[in-house]
Amino acid sequence: MPACIEGRNVNLTFRPPNRRPVRALHGFDIDVQECEFLSIVGPSGCGKTTFLNVVLGLIKPDSGELRIRGKPISGPGTDRAMVFQEFGLLPWRTVLNNIELGLELKGVPGETRRHISRRFIHMVGLAGFEGHYPHELSGGMKQRVGLARALATDPDVLLMDEPFAALDAQTRDVMQVELLRIWQEARKTVLFVTHQIDEAIYLSDRVMVMTKRPGHAKKMFTIKLPRPRDYEMRVTREFNDLKLEIWQELKDEITV
Amino acid sequence: MMDDAAPRVSFPTRYRKVLLGSLSVVLFFAAWQAIFLLVPFNPLFISKPSLIASGLVDLITSGDLLRDLAVSAVPFLYGFSAAVVIGVPLGIVMGWRVRVGYALDPLMTVFYASPLVALAPLVVIFFGVGVAGKALIIFFLSVFPFIFNAYAGVRAVDRLLINVVRSLGGSERDLYFKVIFPSVLPYIVAGARIAVGRALIGVLVGEFFAASEGIGYAISRFGDIFALDRMFACIITIMVIAMVLTEGIRWTERTAFPWRSGH
Amino acid sequence: MSEIQVIDANIAAVAPADDLAEPPKGVWQRFEPTILGFGSIVVLLLVWEFLPRLITMQEGTKLFFTVPSEIGGTLWRMFATGAIWAPLGVSASAFAVGLSIAIVVGLPLGVLLGRSATLNAMFDPFITAFNATPRLVFLPLLLLWFGLGLWSKVAVVFIGALFPILINTYEGVRNADRVLINVVRSFGATEWGIARLVVVPNALPYIVVGLRLAIGRAVLGVVVAEFFGSQDGLGVVMVRAASRFQVDVVFAGLIVFAALSLLMTGLVKLLEDRLSRWRPQHISAI
Repeated sequence: MPACIEGRNVNLTFRPPNRRPVRALHGFDIDVQECEFLSIVGPSGCGKTTFLNVVLGLIKPDSGELRIRGKPISGPGTDRAMVFQEFGLLPWRTVLNNIELGLELKGVPGETRRHISRRFIHMVGLAGFEGHYPHELSGGMKQRVGLARALATDPDVLLMDEPFAALDAQTRDVMQVELLRIWQEARKTVLFVTHQIDEAIYLSDRVMVMTKRPGHAKKMFTIKLPRPRDYEMRVTREFNDLKLEIWQELKDEITV
Repeated sequence: MMDDAAPRVSFPTRYRKVLLGSLSVVLFFAAWQAIFLLVPFNPLFISKPSLIASGLVDLITSGDLLRDLAVSAVPFLYGFSAAVVIGVPLGIVMGWRVRVGYALDPLMTVFYASPLVALAPLVVIFFGVGVAGKALIIFFLSVFPFIFNAYAGVRAVDRLLINVVRSLGGSERDLYFKVIFPSVLPYIVAGARIAVGRALIGVLVGEFFAASEGIGYAISRFGDIFALDRMFACIITIMVIAMVLTEGIRWTERTAFPWRSGH
Repeated sequence: MSEIQVIDANIAAVAPADDLAEPPKGVWQRFEPTILGFGSIVVLLLVWEFLPRLITMQEGTKLFFTVPSEIGGTLWRMFATGAIWAPLGVSASAFAVGLSIAIVVGLPLGVLLGRSATLNAMFDPFITAFNATPRLVFLPLLLLWFGLGLWSKVAVVFIGALFPILINTYEGVRNADRVLINVVRSFGATEWGIARLVVVPNALPYIVVGLRLAIGRAVLGVVVAEFFGSQDGLGVVMVRAASRFQVDVVFAGLIVFAALSLLMTGLVKLLEDRLSRWRPQHISAI
């Protein structure tokens, strides 16, 4: 079965004006299966967010192949949607209108849009907050809106760029559990970028460790923990052995 | 998940500020009226609330006040509208096209900082004392807040939101209407608030210089004939209008743009 | 093609790759803003200078026109002959007196209003009303009261300069972090100590912003007051020149006022920046 996301030898160099060029990705290969939850961990600046943006279609790589379900990527499309670290909600729109945004841009008519959006509001647990504005919501709630918005357009792939980094520890834990629940229900392929090894192991089917810049895949770990994942699994021996293994790989990439 | 509802407070505490404010205004006028029981009243020098009020009533019933306001309002509206129509797009272009911004920013700053009022005599001499001259003065005084605010507004657009809309497949048009315009609008309205004050100065400057009608002219004429009561009445009218406009816009900003903190 | 960069690349924070050569650092790119900025001013002046020579104007309008070179010459003459110092001195003294009184009244009052919410609430309607009103509206009244001399000018300057100082001071005082006040109090500070250690340092940047705004308004006040109610001062010179169609003198006067205003506000801005260094973002007020 062909991979949902296939990347071969992706190269990307940034050339900002007045500064030296930065090689972000070099020889980056990746395979993500259908409905798989894959996390990418790597040191700061290794290019993991850049790669997400490449998959999203906002940046074009210099060379290499990147396909979604066999089709090469040539710009943003409705088959992929991103959940952003800083939420990215339009402050002048209500929760409902924010979730509708993707559908609106697709040209879906009003009634249908609202119907679909309502479904996702319930899915992310924000029923009753349709008319609220982002500035009235907590961080966790804002991210739920971001998630609903990404899911509403029914993309094949969900891209998540350290979505919980801006939340406090407790909210983060809660959101991780929620994310898994929603993912089970929505059945999407997820590409998840994070700094935290715990988070990666807890959420994913596989975890990829990236090298430092210029980034490429260093090692792939398969997480054999059973699903549905239990919060208490985080203190088991198996979990921590995995964590140590991944850390050993990651450690070398982090320059102190 | 949301914060607890605000604790129950009694009416006086909640509206404390408004109550105290109203009280002090009432006290002020009462004191003003009452002080002439102690101090001799010289009608050539000052007036008192009772006389001002009756003067105001006279002006209203005779239609003079309305007429003068209407006369002043015409160039105000022309000049102010021109300022919006020219200033906002210019500011937006300056913000959007970075090079244009670089080129025009210092120029605009110099203009904004100069007492352009100083050129009013020239304008009056060239264009006469009609609507055109006054409107031009008002335009020059009120265009700069719009330019600068629109400029700042465009530069302040959250890049993340642009990425969000782009990633969801939005076109350039979508970007303008769904992100740029709503982002910039609060800035433009704030600019309007500042511009209103400056435009009012323009009205008065034009009329003090050489006019035969209008509210500013009325004030100076009443001063010439020592009709202090009517003079004060007109001054207070302008104060009220200025306050209503400015605070009205401020209120609009607070209600229409609740997500903008601290402006 | 929009010039807005699509990616919010934090590349600037990132060290460059070692294996790639450094591109030539464009002189153009680094100084682009300054070059464009000055360039546009220069272009404007040049067009202004040469336009009248290129297009023929009706005889009547020629009288009304002036060019940068003429203005420059007039300015030079005004300074060289010393003709400018007398009127400038008059204007400057009105400015200085008015501004000083505004500071002397505004600062303490601002502190008072900042500390007392009650007083604040009582003064608020008056401050709002006067702040929104163009001070020019009081000029005829002030002329009636003070006559054509120095004091009516001072009054106009005072009213203009008072409010930025007052409002900014009281914002700065009110805005002092309660947490910090409690911290200092817990170390045994008196009220005076609290003021010295927390309130004043916090308020200082605000006060300086108020001062900067007040200067701008004070200059405007002098100009406006001199136009309508005065017998001497630079503004009066300008008005008289205007009535004699000496447009170059009018512009020369404008330039002097503008230059002084920019100079003073520039100096204050330096002070402001220095005092605000510890702040995460600038207090801006247009």
